[in-house]
Amino acid sequence: MTNHWIDVKNADVVLIMGANPAENHPVAFRWILKAKDSGGKIIVVDPRFTRSAAKADLYAPLRSGTDIAFLGGMINYILQNRLYFEPSVKKYTNASYLVNPDYKGPGELPGLFAGYDPKKRSYDPKAWAFQKDADDKVRKDPTLADPHCVFQLMKKHYSRYTPEMVSNITGTPKDVLLKVYETYASTGKPDRAGTSLYAMGWTQHTVGTQNIRAMAIIQLLLGNMGVAGGGVNALRGESNVQGSTDHGLLFHILPGYLPVPSADLKDLSAYIEKHTPKTKDPMSANWWGNRNKYIASYLKAIYGAKATKENDFGYAWLPKIDPGMNASWIMLFDNMARGKYKGFFAWGQNPACSGTNAGKVRKALGTLEWMVTVNLFDNETASFWKGPGMDPAKVKTEVFFLPAAASFEKEGSITNSGRWAQWRTAAVKPLGQSRPDSEIMNDLFYRIKALYAKEGGAYPDPIMNLAWGYAFKRADGTAKTVDIHAVAREINGFFLADVEDKPKPGQPRPKEKKLLGKKGELAAGFAQLQADGATSCGNWIYCQSYNEKGNMMARRVKKDPTGLGLFSEWAWAWPVNRRIIYNRASVDLDGKPFNPKKAVIYWNPTAVLPDGKFGKWEGDVPDGPWPPMSNEKEGKKPYIMRADGVAALFGPGLKEGPFPEHYEPLECPIRENLLSKQRINPAAKMFHEGGLPDDVFASSDTRYPYVATTYRVTEHWQTGVLSRNVPWLLELQPRQFVEISRELAKEKNIRNGDTVEVSSARGKVEAVAVVTPRLRPFKVAGATVHQVGMPWCFGWFTPGVGDAANLLTPTVGDANTMIPETKAFMVNIKSKG
Amino acid sequence: MAESRMGFLIDTSRCIGCRSCQVACKQWNKLEADKTANKGTYENPGDLTPNLYNRIRFIEKDDGGGVKWFFLSERCVHCGDAGCMKVCPSPGALYRTNEGFVAFNKEKCIACKYCVSACPFNVPRYGADEKVSKCHLCSDRIGVGMAPACAKACPTQTLQYGPRGGLIAKSKASKKAVYGEADLSGLGVLYVLDDKPETYGLPANPAIPTSIFLWKDVVKPLGILGFWGSVAAVLFHYVTIGPKKLEGERSENGGVRHD
Amino acid sequence: MTRYVERFNTGERVLHWFVTMTFFTQILSGIGLFSRLFVGYFDLFGGGQGAILVHKYAGVLFLASSLLLFLNHRKEISVLDDDDRFWLSRLGGYLSRGHFEENNGKFNAGQKLFGMFMGASTVFLGITGLIIWWPLAFPRGIVQISLLIHGLIFVLFFMLVILHVYLATIGNPGTLDGMIWGRVTRLWAKKHHPKWYKERAGQEKTT
Ligand code: HEM
Ligand code: SF4
Ligand code: SF4
Repeated sequence: MTNHWIDVKNADVVLIMGANPAENHPVAFRWILKAKDSGGKIIVVDPRFTRSAAKADLYAPLRSGTDIAFLGGMINYILQNRLYFEPSVKKYTNASYLVNPDYKGPGELPGLFAGYDPKKRSYDPKAWAFQKDADDKVRKDPTLADPHCVFQLMKKHYSRYTPEMVSNITGTPKDVLLKVYETYASTGKPDRAGTSLYAMGWTQHTVGTQNIRAMAIIQLLLGNMGVAGGGVNALRGESNVQGSTDHGLLFHILPGYLPVPSADLKDLSAYIEKHTPKTKDPMSANWWGNRNKYIASYLKAIYGAKATKENDFGYAWLPKIDPGMNASWIMLFDNMARGKYKGFFAWGQNPACSGTNAGKVRKALGTLEWMVTVNLFDNETASFWKGPGMDPAKVKTEVFFLPAAASFEKEGSITNSGRWAQWRTAAVKPLGQSRPDSEIMNDLFYRIKALYAKEGGAYPDPIMNLAWGYAFKRADGTAKTVDIHAVAREINGFFLADVEDKPKPGQPRPKEKKLLGKKGELAAGFAQLQADGATSCGNWIYCQSYNEKGNMMARRVKKDPTGLGLFSEWAWAWPVNRRIIYNRASVDLDGKPFNPKKAVIYWNPTAVLPDGKFGKWEGDVPDGPWPPMSNEKEGKKPYIMRADGVAALFGPGLKEGPFPEHYEPLECPIRENLLSKQRINPAAKMFHEGGLPDDVFASSDTRYPYVATTYRVTEHWQTGVLSRNVPWLLELQPRQFVEISRELAKEKNIRNGDTVEVSSARGKVEAVAVVTPRLRPFKVAGATVHQVGMPWCFGWFTPGVGDAANLLTPTVGDANTMIPETKAFMVNIKSKG
Repeated sequence: MAESRMGFLIDTSRCIGCRSCQVACKQWNKLEADKTANKGTYENPGDLTPNLYNRIRFIEKDDGGGVKWFFLSERCVHCGDAGCMKVCPSPGALYRTNEGFVAFNKEKCIACKYCVSACPFNVPRYGADEKVSKCHLCSDRIGVGMAPACAKACPTQTLQYGPRGGLIAKSKASKKAVYGEADLSGLGVLYVLDDKPETYGLPANPAIPTSIFLWKDVVKPLGILGFWGSVAAVLFHYVTIGPKKLEGERSENGGVRHD
Repeated sequence: MTRYVERFNTGERVLHWFVTMTFFTQILSGIGLFSRLFVGYFDLFGGGQGAILVHKYAGVLFLASSLLLFLNHRKEISVLDDDDRFWLSRLGGYLSRGHFEENNGKFNAGQKLFGMFMGASTVFLGITGLIIWWPLAFPRGIVQISLLIHGLIFVLFFMLVILHVYLATIGNPGTLDGMIWGRVTRLWAKKHHPKWYKERAGQEKTT
């Protein structure tokens, strides 16, 4: 989230699209209702009329997988009707940048952007470069009139997304569509804010990342970034999924969003060179310019005293990925299915249920020699060898089950969607033999290290040199239980040597040397981190969370001086306790809030600082201490994480082009993309050529005529491993079901409550038909298209509940992140009586 | 009932049908899960059971071209004039708490099941133990200053516990009509509804069933009058008119033989 | 010729007293349910649940015996003749001390009506009783009406039984003998049931 949960109450319009917070974030839904209480409007856009829709002022149905068409239409509406917030668009985005005149968009090329290589299924982003003048500065047109400027290109690109066209693609009735556009675009006024709440309904598509970018563009156009009640807000699917992503859960990022090094970056300087953006603009803070400090401090945290300047702080020991390598979830199981792995740790996960194309996943598990499952309960993954269609005698995989403690049984922090890291103490002792993950990991480490010490191995150094000082020690020096506070301190970071507080360039050197920090002291914030090995920090964005003042995450002060619900002394938010990021975009060039009634920050020019200077920011922690932009010497642009300091309406960062463009899901009901000749995402990785038989798909195929999507229900948690073991919850949702419209039910002669079989090109699942007016057939390209939906919380391991919906979902992912496309695929359905 | 009567407000316009309340209730009251089946709806179990004091009803309603989906917490509404209490023959089996709610004591319940028939809302249930069970508004929590388990679990403040008058005033201040303010001497559980009561399966004008009224408010008092009346009447007859004497018998006593 | 005529045989008497016993068991076990005024009566059965238990099973015995009783006397009570109508029009002469010339058969009109009432009430009490025995097995409306009817008949039945007891004992001396010993005096018979007495006397002569 750019903002945070409580902040949703400040919104005048809440757009819930690709999410269903009433069902999946019920506790947080109170803030949405608070927005409603103060007159805000709630819009829900979803293929199904959900429990969230039940509370909405406005509900718009849309066919699964057509969000970009919907949002593109909104961009078009905003631009055509001049509803954008001009001061923000002109100064805080790259709208005025001039693009290379050779650039062409999908309107001119058949659904593609310039620079496409069909063989590689990828683009050369150079074709989207900006025009530069002699001294390498981007050329701009502040009037936004130049036909090559981003603004005009965007206008042209989205002019194709007329309401008629969008309605024809999405199936959303035109009047509803326009009502949504009108309502949401009303937040383009400075005194109004609109927030966007999304979740897996946007991400789990071949165009997932672009779905979110489309919304980001809308928010930038309407001036909804950095303001109270605005932002682009990902509703995380688990209480600590934000925390795990921050700490390097994904294959391509280290903790703190440092890229995982690829093998062609031979040494640290090459890594830093590659990953440190540069700018010549004095008004750009270019925060990633500090990359060197963060990676050096990270390496010190990992390898401790073994990391020295001479050995590049142990950079060589960091695991690398091959250049261009894709080590995502889908690929992991693809490789496993091809027999490439010996062993596998299924730690706190249930891929036999949660993995897309779960049939393939289950088969893949059978190729392993061993598998360790760490979980609270036995489940479909741990017991895959005795699952449906498996012959236990033939499966050779040896499975180990390590019982893990539940979150209430251990101390530590969890980071919620709003980036708030909240410390929690253990409520009860772990049950039986179950242990906290940290203990299991601690044991594992010492045992692996001992094995390497005894037997050697291919490359023992990364393990042997690991700094690992988390355990309380027994008298004989052996490790006892893990001190979770030691982990928190390492994440926060500390000084390894006395570090002098050097004056900023141009300032006089004080008579006495001032220290930034003494050796051994916890760092007070990431501005103190050093590139020379004088500091250690496990995750720079968490620096400050556990400092000399104490454990900031454990704070529980309920003070809200702004009335905006920032609650700055409740727990701690990354970065540096900033509750609303990009908050510099909420003020004008003089630091005056665009909406003074809900000022997140404002510049107080009369405040006197200790050093005698005037002026400081009040309110939330600003994106950097520098004065506002009207101060041409010291002022900075608002988007400090971007090299040029402004937000990218036109962005060369993503695989499938600089503007989001609508492509159909891999499996879709129509033969042609109504917008262009390019039906599916041209940059998404395809598995069918040279793929395994399980990677089959069936698009616009009469055998699988219905659009399907998957989702969660309030009553169950993820694959249901936790909730299916609670009889009270099973009582509420006892069995796999499929929601279908009354029209489809009539067509297929299915009665409410009938058992039906839902099948896709990959598998079939038995379910109870829930026939409901909450789903309606769509009119798409003049034809009737039926949509159905199923929850993915069931699995065969619990008797009588039915098997996993993911047996139906395809092997294909987003072009940028490889998140699987489980939210739009094609199925058939037939009654079993 | 006293000014200090407490109340419980169910503002259905806030309910998201998450059923935290349903589960929290089971947890606090240590109620077993019922074995259920999906019958084509989210609503489950399909009715209140001895192990289910509070359940969310899911009501779909066509609305022009669109649809509405209502959620209602179905439970005992703690009538001011409670049919269940009126008919209960066993003192203390159903009783009114200090806060003004209708609680029960299984030990005093004699399993006559009269309350089942007398409740205008069809609430009380009997389990294998043949004893009454229903929402008692967490009489064992509110008595010691805790919120009812369901209200505490409810994330959206759909369920609110507080002084009854205050809850009503607050709802009215935000222009929300309250169901149950005056019905049956005022319900302890009040509803704010998004539609007509009938849409939710609530009676528009809740009242104790006529036959129950006749039984307990007419037949019973008249009956008692009737018993004593008959006893009095025969005694009166005996001392005023007197028995039908047999002439001969009397003379027999006097020594006269008839035959 | 003895002073007495035979009125009820042993079987009839046993049945009557059996019905009486079960009836009063029903009264005693049911009255606590009827009103909290009588909640103390539960103690007779060790508490409310005991009372209900007794009420249910004694109820079945009452139902069976009372129906049998009714069926046995069915012929004697089911027809009202002119004499009965005369009796009724004078309310059996119970409202004055003056001499009342009645010409009743074995049973007078009041007894006949009471018998019919008892038969019908037994059936209704039985049906409604069985319904409220399993209140969850029937629609709520049916159970509600049953409770009303059961209570209502109870009230009427009890009131009439009080009258019945009065008239059978101190209200009409000599009557109880018939139900205790099976025989009544000729004088009693001539006075209260002359028609029946004549029939009896005729029978006696012919035998
Ligand atoms: C004919 C057979 C009868 C049956 C099967 C029967 C059955 C029942 C049953 C099942 C109940 C409800 C008890 C409970 O479960 O709480 C009941 C209540 C009652 N019964 Fe009976 N009963 C019978 C005859 C009688 C008789 C002869 C009387 C007395 C005249 C009587 C008086 C009552 C009373 C006073 C109640 C309490 C209900 C009320 O207040 O109306 N019953 N009976
Ligand atoms: S709702 Fe029913 S059970 Fe609850 S108090 Fe009213 S009559 Fe009694
Ligand atoms: S807990 Fe609250 S929001 Fe959830 S179902 Fe119950 S009443 Fe509704």
